[in-house]
Amino acid sequence: MAASLNSSESDRSSLGGQSASSRSNNRSLRVAEKERRRNEAEDPFVLALKYFSVVEAGTPVVGNDDFENNLVLVERTAYSQGLSPEAISIMLEFAMSLRMGTAPCARVLKCLIPASVVPQEAVVRAAVWLSVGKIPISTQVLFIKWVLTVFDMIDAKDQLRAIYGFIFSFVTEENLCPFICHLLYLLTQKESVRVYRVRKLLELQSKLGRQPFLLHLLSLYKVFCPELVTLSIPSRMRGAFRNHVSPWKAALTAVQKRNGSLAGSSVSPALAVRDKSGSRKRKHCHLQLPALTSVASDGARSEQTSSRTLVPLAHLQSFDQLLKNVHRIELPAQMGSLLGSSVALQYLDCIQDESALLRLNFWLGCALHEEFLFCGDGATQTSEALQFLSRLLSAQHFLQEGFSSSDAFLYKFLNVWDGSLLRPQILCLLSNIPVIPSSQIRKLLFEPLTQLFFTSSLFFKCGLVECLNNMLLKWLTWHSVYALEDDLDISLNSHTSLNITLSGFKDSVMELIHFVGHLASVGLQLEGCHALLLSFVLDFYETVCDTFLKFGLPLVVMPPAGVFYPAFFATDPVSVDRLAHIMHRYKVNLTSAKRQEKQKEQAFHISRQTFQEFNHCVVFMVNCLWNSRMFYPGSDVQPGEELLLGSGVPRYWASFDFIHHPAFVSYALDFHQKCWPSRKEMDLSSIKDSKPWSWYLDYLFSQGFDGLKDFLKSNISRQAAAVDEQQR
Amino acid sequence: MEQTNASVTRTPLDSVAVKRKSKSRSYRQSYRSCLGVASRLGLTPARRLTTNRKAPESHNITRQVNPEHLALLVKNEWQLAYVTPLHQFRHTQLRSYARHLSAFVVAEKQQGLAVEVSGLQNGFKASMTVVQGMSEADDDPETVLIQIHSKPLFSRPDDPQKLVWSGWLTCINGNPEYLHSLPKDFTCLPLFVYKGAENLSSLVKSWVQRTFDCCFGPLELSQTSLQWLAALWTNCHAESNIQHLRMLWTLPSAPPLQVTYAVDPHDVWELWGSVRKGSWGDGAGEARWIDLEEVASFMQSLKSHFYRHFKLDLSAGILNQVSTALGSARFNGRIKISNSAYVITTLTLLTECALLKMPI
Repeated sequence: MAASLNSSESDRSSLGGQSASSRSNNRSLRVAEKERRRNEAEDPFVLALKYFSVVEAGTPVVGNDDFENNLVLVERTAYSQGLSPEAISIMLEFAMSLRMGTAPCARVLKCLIPASVVPQEAVVRAAVWLSVGKIPISTQVLFIKWVLTVFDMIDAKDQLRAIYGFIFSFVTEENLCPFICHLLYLLTQKESVRVYRVRKLLELQSKLGRQPFLLHLLSLYKVFCPELVTLSIPSRMRGAFRNHVSPWKAALTAVQKRNGSLAGSSVSPALAVRDKSGSRKRKHCHLQLPALTSVASDGARSEQTSSRTLVPLAHLQSFDQLLKNVHRIELPAQMGSLLGSSVALQYLDCIQDESALLRLNFWLGCALHEEFLFCGDGATQTSEALQFLSRLLSAQHFLQEGFSSSDAFLYKFLNVWDGSLLRPQILCLLSNIPVIPSSQIRKLLFEPLTQLFFTSSLFFKCGLVECLNNMLLKWLTWHSVYALEDDLDISLNSHTSLNITLSGFKDSVMELIHFVGHLASVGLQLEGCHALLLSFVLDFYETVCDTFLKFGLPLVVMPPAGVFYPAFFATDPVSVDRLAHIMHRYKVNLTSAKRQEKQKEQAFHISRQTFQEFNHCVVFMVNCLWNSRMFYPGSDVQPGEELLLGSGVPRYWASFDFIHHPAFVSYALDFHQKCWPSRKEMDLSSIKDSKPWSWYLDYLFSQGFDGLKDFLKSNISRQAAAVDEQQR
Repeated sequence: MEQTNASVTRTPLDSVAVKRKSKSRSYRQSYRSCLGVASRLGLTPARRLTTNRKAPESHNITRQVNPEHLALLVKNEWQLAYVTPLHQFRHTQLRSYARHLSAFVVAEKQQGLAVEVSGLQNGFKASMTVVQGMSEADDDPETVLIQIHSKPLFSRPDDPQKLVWSGWLTCINGNPEYLHSLPKDFTCLPLFVYKGAENLSSLVKSWVQRTFDCCFGPLELSQTSLQWLAALWTNCHAESNIQHLRMLWTLPSAPPLQVTYAVDPHDVWELWGSVRKGSWGDGAGEARWIDLEEVASFMQSLKSHFYRHFKLDLSAGILNQVSTALGSARFNGRIKISNSAYVITTLTLLTECALLKMPI
């Protein structure tokens, strides 16, 4: 039988060769082929393989020099380059068929180092030889170990899975059992889990005791069919199968490295058992993510799903597997477990089942409420809470939105928060809150936040302004994405759309901007116009000034005086520059809005007051910085003439021009020195002359004040200014 | 930093502006952030305990409910907990659930030993049954009783199994609006009352949690709930003697002062009658409803009476426990219902408390 099998093998290979040559009509190719064959025929390795494939049963081993020489040849090739798939087939067949007795069997197995892949058929045929029963048990173990070692290199597994039952029958063999269990673990699919197999394994368990290999196989069975078996793995047994065969592994990696192809071989499967020991000490364990486990299907549920076989999410290890099975994934028993695995999170992004999301929200809401609201005894353990919130935040960040239960939690929590517990996390959660209708925004958000803002430190104030800036950014982004999609409405079911109209959204955004404006005005006053707070406030207005062009929201809100003047009078040039940049962006937005208003009759309307406020600010800035006319009729600041004279400030009207503004005076001094290095006397007003003035401006712009540059470019025509200058 | 900002802001999105047309467009929120229940409840102000409720009537539930179950409920002190709605819970599958639960308990008790689900467990045997008649409104799901029997370790094989743990999942007069807002595959049995060994309780909880994807949390009784119970029980005195009204207060002094305040049933009954508004005692219409104001003034009168005698203001303290012959309740969520006639009234209040704990 062995001989016939072998001949068919060689037939097949020659057939393959013929078909290949007949396909190539090219004559020279055929010649080359012949040449190659002749070389092969003379190759001692090929001859050695030929020897092993045709050697007759019963040939003696002892004193057989032919055998010895050929085997040494094969061994040498195996350890240096690895064996080709055909060589593996031939050698495996030779060894397992015991054609020359049991003696060479182990020796041959030890040198079966594949160069590329292992043909599945060879493994299946070798497994069949196992049942013939003449092979000593140690060699059988060696063979299974070899299969485990090269498992990832077997070219296909469908036939191996087809003989699952056959392989399973070996579990009763006590010595083979650990290795067979491991092999079964690698081969198990949902349909291979059967009641009688579970019973067999449990029977073995009662005979052998608590064996890790049985438990791990059973735990995989539980993943597929929790309705058949249940178990709990103690922490000391959490290690996976310990069946590494290091010499083989080492030889394999050496060969692979030499061949330049390092196929990932993961002999030990990753077990999804979680270590719970850390949290066992805690009285409350709400913050523990549930494990990914599959649903136990009862009669009712399996009826619904019998039409298609579902893949439990717990069994998927990689994104590739997820993609392949995305149409038939079974949700886990506990939705909360999705937050714990990155693959599951990918899947969560495409779940549209309302119940599933509700389950997730119930779990999340309950965890947050129990930990931060109901736990009266101050049991909050910060490190665990921190870990939990970070995980929640990273999930929200990945999904680019919050969960409704965490929003509902925040509305309550803000009322009792001290503003310091887990501040960065809570503020980050807060910035993920979706648009709130303007009728409720005051009660839910502004009232508790006002209280927190005015009773907390400077750093909290900065943090809150930053958080509200992020919130506004997210709202605006949401608007620009979803308002656009409206024309090609891709919503799958209509009842999920929330009825916020454009004007409703605008109202909410306006409320938010006004609220931050109010906080910023008073906050800056309270903190003495602290540069740090001012910087965060300017960040916010950098978002606000661009709502129209950047996010397509027809809304322009100017900063209040309490923000504008502190920024303008700031002693650091960066703040003034940023203010100028903001004013420039306001101008660009307003002009483009106006242009559109003219083009289309049904376009939106921006109120005159906004334009007035804007002009007011720009005129003030230009008068102060450029015209050295700080006080002019109609400005906000108009102290009496006597008062100004009494102050003793010389040339008070020019105190805030580009030269004397506290933020720029050092630049003016520097410029003066560079411009007239020989001058002993400092005369800053000489910069005001037409030529040095334009040099000075260029000097300022070269220092990186792009905001000022844009501001001047858009608000002052240099030509007119030059004329203006000459007239004075 | 300034420069990158500027370059970002300078990108004009003219196309964005051109596309918008109508003023009244609606937004589509993504699926996650607009759950029917969640968004509605998230935005509504906090739910509160109802301010008025029906006066307790003695229900003759002995006729509807299995007397064995009733006896179990009445003779024990129970621990309270709340449960979020159960997903894919079927009253018709109780037998299979019980099998799973038995196997789960056995597997957890014997770490590292796999257990066949359908096999017969000799250590522990769980059973789950519907308690017929233990529901009030039409929307209430049927109450479920979970019991675990076990055989003592050194017992003869023919010894009967002993009841070691029992618990109820129930919903009596649950807020119909809330119940209706849940999708069909959720069953809301928010109140979980149980007694038995602590480790068994946590095993059962964790099994229910894993199987129906829900969460448990302890249900404490707030001051208001305890006061409600005191008033509701007092109100029953005419029909069944309450024997005494005993309240346990803790006053925040150093060391903390425990005050046991017991009142004679007749005096309490008279006091209750004096604070009751409307037609008193004729049993028609209005008198059937009790108002929160009445409860508050009842408690206030009791406190001021105490102050007159002992110069100690109880409003500074915490009400820890209320007990009468009809039952007793402690703020840490332990309750005993001694008279089966008023089970429904008490459970209605407790269901309400449990629903208030729902996160969404």
